[in-house]
Formats: sequence, structure tokens, C-alpha cells
Amino acid sequence: AQTRVGGMNVEGSVEAGGQFFLSDGPKNKERAKFEEYRDIEAGPFLQNLQLRFFTSDEGYSAEFLGSKWGRQDQEFSLGAGRTGLWKFEFDWDQTPHALSTTARTSLHEVSPGVWVLPPIQSLTDFNGQATSHELHDVAVRWDTGRLRFTLTPTPDLELNAQYTRIRKEGNRPFGMNFGTGSGTNFLELLQPIEQTVHDLRLGGTLARERWQLVFGYTLSVFQNDLNRVRFDNPCFQAPIGGSAAFGCIAGESRTAANNVVPARGQSSLPPDNMAHTFNIGGGVNLPLRTRLTANGAYSLVLQNDAFLPFTINPSIAGDPDLRLPQKSLNGNVQTINLSLQATSRPLPLPLTLSAKYRLYDLTDRSDNFTFGNYVLGDRPVVTGGVLTPSGTRAGGAAIVAGRQSFTRHNADLDARYQIVQPVAVTLGGGWEQWNRGPLREVSETDEYFAKAAVDVTPFDWLLARLTYKPSFRRDSDYNRNILSGGVPTSQIFDGRKFDEAERDRQRVDLLLQFTPADTLSVTPTAGWRHDDYIRSAFGIKWETGWSAGLDVGWTPFERLTFSAGYIHELVDRDLRSRGASPNLSSNVNADWLSNMTDTYDTFHAGGKAALIPKVLDWTFGANYATSFGSIETRNPTANVPGNPANTVVPNNAQAKRMPDFDDQLVRLETALRYHFAKSWTASLSYAFEQFQKNDWRTDNLTPFLPQLAGTNGFIWLGNDLRNYTAHIAGVTLAYTFK
Amino acid sequence: KPWPAPAQQPTAPGAGTELPAGYVGAETCKGCHADQFERFEHTKMGRLFLKQPRNMRERLACESCHGPGQKHVEAGGGRGVGGMITFAKNDPTPVAKRNEMCTTCHSKGPHLLWKGSAHEARDVACTNCHKVMEDVSPRHSLAKATEIETCGTCHLQKRAATMRSSHMPLREGKMTCTSCHNPHGTVTASLLKENGLNETCYACHAEKRGPFLWTHAPVPENCSNCHDPHGSNHENMLKTAKPRLCQSCHILGPHGSYPDGRGDTGTLRFVMGRQCLNCHANIHGSNHPSGKFFTR
Repeated sequence: AQTRVGGMNVEGSVEAGGQFFLSDGPKNKERAKFEEYRDIEAGPFLQNLQLRFFTSDEGYSAEFLGSKWGRQDQEFSLGAGRTGLWKFEFDWDQTPHALSTTARTSLHEVSPGVWVLPPIQSLTDFNGQATSHELHDVAVRWDTGRLRFTLTPTPDLELNAQYTRIRKEGNRPFGMNFGTGSGTNFLELLQPIEQTVHDLRLGGTLARERWQLVFGYTLSVFQNDLNRVRFDNPCFQAPIGGSAAFGCIAGESRTAANNVVPARGQSSLPPDNMAHTFNIGGGVNLPLRTRLTANGAYSLVLQNDAFLPFTINPSIAGDPDLRLPQKSLNGNVQTINLSLQATSRPLPLPLTLSAKYRLYDLTDRSDNFTFGNYVLGDRPVVTGGVLTPSGTRAGGAAIVAGRQSFTRHNADLDARYQIVQPVAVTLGGGWEQWNRGPLREVSETDEYFAKAAVDVTPFDWLLARLTYKPSFRRDSDYNRNILSGGVPTSQIFDGRKFDEAERDRQRVDLLLQFTPADTLSVTPTAGWRHDDYIRSAFGIKWETGWSAGLDVGWTPFERLTFSAGYIHELVDRDLRSRGASPNLSSNVNADWLSNMTDTYDTFHAGGKAALIPKVLDWTFGANYATSFGSIETRNPTANVPGNPANTVVPNNAQAKRMPDFDDQLVRLETALRYHFAKSWTASLSYAFEQFQKNDWRTDNLTPFLPQLAGTNGFIWLGNDLRNYTAHIAGVTLAYTFK
Repeated sequence: KPWPAPAQQPTAPGAGTELPAGYVGAETCKGCHADQFERFEHTKMGRLFLKQPRNMRERLACESCHGPGQKHVEAGGGRGVGGMITFAKNDPTPVAKRNEMCTTCHSKGPHLLWKGSAHEARDVACTNCHKVMEDVSPRHSLAKATEIETCGTCHLQKRAATMRSSHMPLREGKMTCTSCHNPHGTVTASLLKENGLNETCYACHAEKRGPFLWTHAPVPENCSNCHDPHGSNHENMLKTAKPRLCQSCHILGPHGSYPDGRGDTGTLRFVMGRQCLNCHANIHGSNHPSGKFFTR
């Protein structure tokens, strides 16, 4: 039923209807996970709208698409173009991200990011059990708008311009500690999100038969409307003599003799930044069936937001050593990315040779800071020696915010030879080198790869791909006393950070595809990886991961299609550490071992059946995903894990119990579609969703815990992703005109 | 015309232009393959080739990809008869030659680095992922309805990861595989669209880009040191559970590294809620003068 409007042909479809919850549906406190990235409400909704206007000769056309109008997750797009010559597109998408619907706090946000605690008189005031109010929607919504124009004046030349704007608004949980050391009490509240990302891309490609050229420029600008958050410190308000009862250390209340306890704290939020990236690349076909491609990119990242003060605690803000040599970082990071690739089939044989080289260099040219004292948790002043007029330190370690640069080289060589028609073998090797600055433990690592791959297609109904890739990473040295901000990090001897540590890696991947008939495909797959950190006496010692699964697609006859799949994955890691403060780093009785495993099982099935051809269709789908995580911890010495009577292992180094955590997601959906006229379709759908999790780390946030002995005034929001069960029914009517 | 384009003025098939020897023209193909033709003419490529060809290659329409059809017609037709390229699984034409039929035109922009790419090197055919004879997907002429289904045909584990509790909005349809990857080949080993892994993440998460006064060393090197962007059972798609993730590197430090756990009420702030991030909230980097330990 194609129609004409203003001399243009119009075709398209529209589907709308209503949906409702059978039973009550998820309660407010359960909606955080249910509506994590979507908006599902009972009532009318637009499932889909598509309109295409076009001239009879298809020379010009315009298309409009939309769905979920009026919802938090609505989207639509508009496109218009001259076939083969130019195209204009505009996309709009809203993506909500719900983080919590269970948060509570006693504080009030008097202005964006400024939270004030009303006067407290009792413990229940303090921990909020009596005074807290609910923060119903802790969420961030991303609104993304994109404009794109593509011009193809000739078939071998393409020019394009694209502007994308991402606006993020909402809030997310954010913690702030107060007081001495690593924080004697902390408060969790909300960080306001009012951020915008602008992304402009200009580029083009010229593609001749023998050579191609691509060039482009990208400007990415990040703007944060807020540069700080400010929270009141609940322990500061602990009444005279009552701080301990409030779970605060006595010295952390305003009654302390040394009255420098912060009444409030202030933390920074991400600063504005800007990145310019220039890119040029090309490819050329050379004799001997050789192709050479090269790509070069230079990027400049700038950041120069004004610094916040060291502290807003008036008791110590006047410290003469709390001053910075300048008001901002003058941040300047430059990256160079060079890539060369050659592929050749030089002989009259099915032999393919390829070589690749890549350089990635990041140089941080921001100003290097050496400054005076700084403040921890808005309470203690950390001294770095005496500040001299020249800004250097005397009588103590300098406090330096050092700049970190690195260079990475990658090179690969491999040869692929088709021994006989159904068998192709690839052999190759590679090398990766990291050069890091003096601020990391390892100044240089070299990793060597080998690669062997076999692709076999003995019959047109079987494809097998097997890949084996071992690699070996070695370092030049491991400096455990690198300076971090001018202070040795005092990492334990033989401790290794996994991203720099010497590592032997083995990796095997297998994929089989059986297609005995056009109507049946069976795809088993398996993968195994083992990382052995060969010199890491402490830190991650090894990690093993494997997965195995099967996918089946079957169309027994034209009216029925079916697919199903299952995959199991396990990741297993071993960690060794020493539960001792730096001055006890030689206490071997403080060692502890931890094994962490994550297991995943994922199943899916789906199908479509034409119950009455061209009249009544039935579709169904099912998904089940479950994960299980465990952390087993023990002391290697003769201990009973967690036994407080143990006198060999220092008390704070005794392995404590970490209960397992798990989650399951079930989704079942089915629909009947009735084509009751040439252009009309009615549908009736039903979906069942259930999410369940057990995680003691968040389940027990009730939401407040300061009433627990010795918890030192920890106050969380109590945000948690609650279990939900939903039965959703829908009815839609669709009209198609083509 | 609202947009004059002399170089673009369409020439209908056969309109004053002779076809090369051995070619029979699309109308002849339609005679036997009416169903396929009817579906093809509604596709983006069909509209271009059949109604708005810009050059002789496009004007050849069906034969621009399947090859000259005269021998096929004279032999009375049949699958593969007359040397036609069928692009079917059992097509004896080598994958490289089949792909050349596509890359002859599709060599610009995202296809520039196809030769030598991970997929080309393993003889993956364009038609493994794309279907141009009919519209199966809303965009990109995919072989399946969505990108996740198309890529998931081989990458089963990655597809399964999108179902995990901590995930990006792929299964909700707000992102796709090509939001981050270009399967036709890029300068990165993982076929990422930008010049590196972090640059790909920064395209949306630009607030993590910095540079900051205090830098957390592993962050600018590699986001995947801590995150698995395909999905995880740990919050924020972390690779392993906190506090063990942090303790993997921070063995001692200012306040030690203790095997805290449930019931150890004195140190609950280290193991409950967001664990280490309860205090070290600006873990990606801090621009605060007192943010040396990312607590401000």
C-alpha cells in the first residue's frame, strides 16, 4: 500500500500499543536493576516507526526512524540523501543508567554537590536511622545527539563530517574520608554529574585502484559544570564526650584537645580537558601482489583547570607550607601513533607473508610539581620537609607530582601457506616492548610471541580453526623503591605488579563450524589461557581462564527456525600478600594467600514458527545467565584461618572469611503475531524477567553501620541493586505500507 | 535537481551504453531469478546499482559481483554454471577472490586496512557477515538481524559476556560491537576503532582522560588492566573482586594490605560497599593538590 505525498513515494511501517505488568511489577526499590539501561512503564508506547520518502527513480530519499517516544530511553534518527552522492544523518538517543533506588542519607544538598548535615542530638540522628530521607533515583542519563554528513562527489572520493554531543546528567555514589591516616571515618554521598562531551570529526578518503589515502582530524572536548563536591563530617558533630559512642574516634570529634577536626571536606571532580588528533594513512598496491599500508596519528591533550585549595579546614588552611607554585597543572600530553603493515603474495604459491610494526608513544609534558605539605582527609598536614624559597625541600623528601610517559613498540611477522586446498597453516612471531619512565617499577619489558594457526575446511560443511599463541615477558629490572610523590613506595621485596611483572602466557583457541546442510549449523568453541607470573613471590602469582560452548542453528522446515547456545567460563587467580604495615614487611608470619574464582554459565534459545503461513507467527526467546564468585583466603603458616586465638600470625594478618557472591538473570519472552490484513499485524507478547543476587558486601548495608562496634563512623548510602521479578504483557498493532 | 552533480547523473542500464562482451544485463537475470531480484532491488545496493549507477561497474548490477552471465545463460543456468560466483558456502571460488568482488568498491574509509587484517588473514569471507541480496538487518547489510548476533556467530564468549550483571548497554540495544571495533581492520590488534584502547574508551568517558595532577600509573597505559569491557560479575565491569583487585598490586602501602573480611568490623570500610573506593574515590586520577592517594 505504498502512497505518494507531494510527488514523493512513501513507504514504511508503524507499530504501537500498550504494555502492562501482570501482578504488581518491580517495586520502586527494585527498579534500579530492572531499569538499569531502559525505561519500562505500564501504558501506551511506540514500538517502532519507519517512514521512507523517495523519488520514483530513487535519486533522492529521506528516512525517519523512531522508537520508545516519551520514554527515558527514547531514540530516533533522520536521514536524507542523494543516492550515491551525499547523505545527511541525525541521530538522537537517550540512555538512562540507574545506579540505585535504595540510597538514604541524613544530609541535605543545599546546592549542587554541597551536602549539609543538620544538627544531631543522638546516635539515631547520627547514623540517620531516625532522620534520613530517601534518594529515590541515583542515576545518570546520557543524551547523545549526532550529526553526520557524507559526500561522495565521485565513486573514489568520500568526504565526511560528524559532530557528536553527549550530555550526562545525574549523580552517582561517591565516598569521602575524614581525619588522620587512611581515614578514621568516611561518608558516602552523591557526586553530581553535569558533564558534556563534544566530538567533532572531519575526514576523507581517496581510493584509486592502486592506492588509497585517508585523512582526518578529531576534536574532543570534555566540559564538567562542577569542579568539586563538599560533605559535612558527621563525626565532627559528635557531642562532647559522645564521640566513641557514635563510633567515632574521640580525637576525631570537635571535642578533641587538638581541635583541628574537619567540619567538612572537599573533593575534586574531573577537570575539563581537550584533545586534538590529526590522522593520515594510506595504502598502496605494489608489484609481486604486495600491499603496503601506513598510518600516522598525533594527538595533543590539554588540561588547565584551576586547582582547589589543599583543604577547606580553617584550622590548618593557614599553614604557610600549604601553597602551590602555580594555580593549575598546565596539562599537556602528546601521543604519537605510527603503524606500518605489509602483506605480500610474492610467489605463484598460496603463500601470504605479512609484517606489522606499531609505535605508540605517550609523553606527558605537563608541569612537574615540587611543592610543600599536603593534607590527608582535610585533617593531618603531611610534611615533605622544609620548603625552601626555591620550592625545593630541605630536611625531608620532596613531594613531587611526577609526570609519567611511556613508549610501546609492537612488531609481528607471519606466513600463511595453504598446504593443500582444505588446509592452511599460519606460523609467526611477534615482539612487544614497553619503555616506561622512572616512576614505574619496571623501566623496560620485552615480550616475545609465537603464533601457530591451522584452518581446515576438508568439506564444505566443516570449518575448523585452531590457534596457539604462547608469549614470554621479561623485564630489565624491578625497582621496588620507586618514588611516588617523592616518597619511596616501600613495596615488599619480591612483590610484583601484574601489569609489569615477568610473565609466561599460553593461549589456545578452537572454533569448529559444522554446516551439514543449509538448514543446520553447529558451532562448538573452546578457549584456554594461562598466565604464570614467574617471579612474583607476592602479588598475582598465576591466572587461568577457560571457556567452552556450543551454538546450534536449525531450520527443520521453512516454517520453523530454532537456535540455542550454551557457554561455560571459569577464571581462576592466585594471589599472595603480606598483611603487615611497611615497618613489619619482614614478618613472614603475616603472609596470606587468596584464590579468586569467577564462574559464568550462559544459555540462550530462540525460535520462530509460522503456525499459519503468512497469517499467524509465533516467536520465543529465552536467556539464562548466572555467575558465581568466590574468594578463599588462608595463612600459609600453621594457622586456623580466622582463628583469633592464633598467636603466630599478627592479628590483623589473619585470613578472614569472604563469603561467596552470585547472581542470576532469567528472561523468557514469547509473542504471537497475527497478520489479519495485507498491511495490518496485531501482536500479543509476554515476557518474564527475574534477577537475583547475593553479595554480602552490599546486601548488609542497612544502609548504615556506624552502630557496629569499632566501625569508626562509616556511613554508607546503603545503595544496593535489589532482586526483582517482572511479568510484562504487551499488545501492539502494526501497519505497513510498501 | 536541488543538488546538481554532473559526475553523478544516473544512466539507466543499457541507456545508450553497450554492456561489455560476455555480460547480459540485470533484466536477463531477473528472468530466472525474479524472487532474488525483487528482494535485491529494495536494498541500498540494489537501489544504487539498478536505478542510480554511477559508472559501468555499478551498471553491470548483478554481474558486477557474480561475474559475466552470458555463458551461464547459454548453458541454461544452474548453480555455478558458466563460472558464476555464487558466494554460497560451497562456492569453489576462493574466498580471497570472492572478497575482491566487494573490496574493489569497498576500499575506502573503514575498509582501508582490510588486507592483512585479523579477519582477512584467516580467510573470513565478506559474506560470512554481510548479506546484500536482501535487507536482514536495519543497517550495514548484515547477515543477521543484529551486530551481536552476527559477531556472536564466531565470538560466542564475547556475546555471552554481554549477559553478565555488570555490562555495557549492548543487550539493551544502546551500543553495538562496532561502537568500539572496526571488524574490517584497524591499526590495533583488537580491531579497535580509535588509535588505541584508552582512546576508544575516552571517546565516551572523556572525564578519565586527564591529564591529572596525580596520575594512577596503570590508568593511562591500559583501561583493561582493571576492566573487562565485554562484561563482568563485578561492579563497573572490573576483572576481579575488590579489594583483591587493588591488593594485586598494592601489597603494603601506607595502611598495609590485610586479608579483611566479614565480621572484622574494625575494617569494614575496606571490604564493604565500594571497598577501597569508599575512600580512594578518584581512583582514575585526581587534580586536587591533596589528592596524592586519590581520596580528594
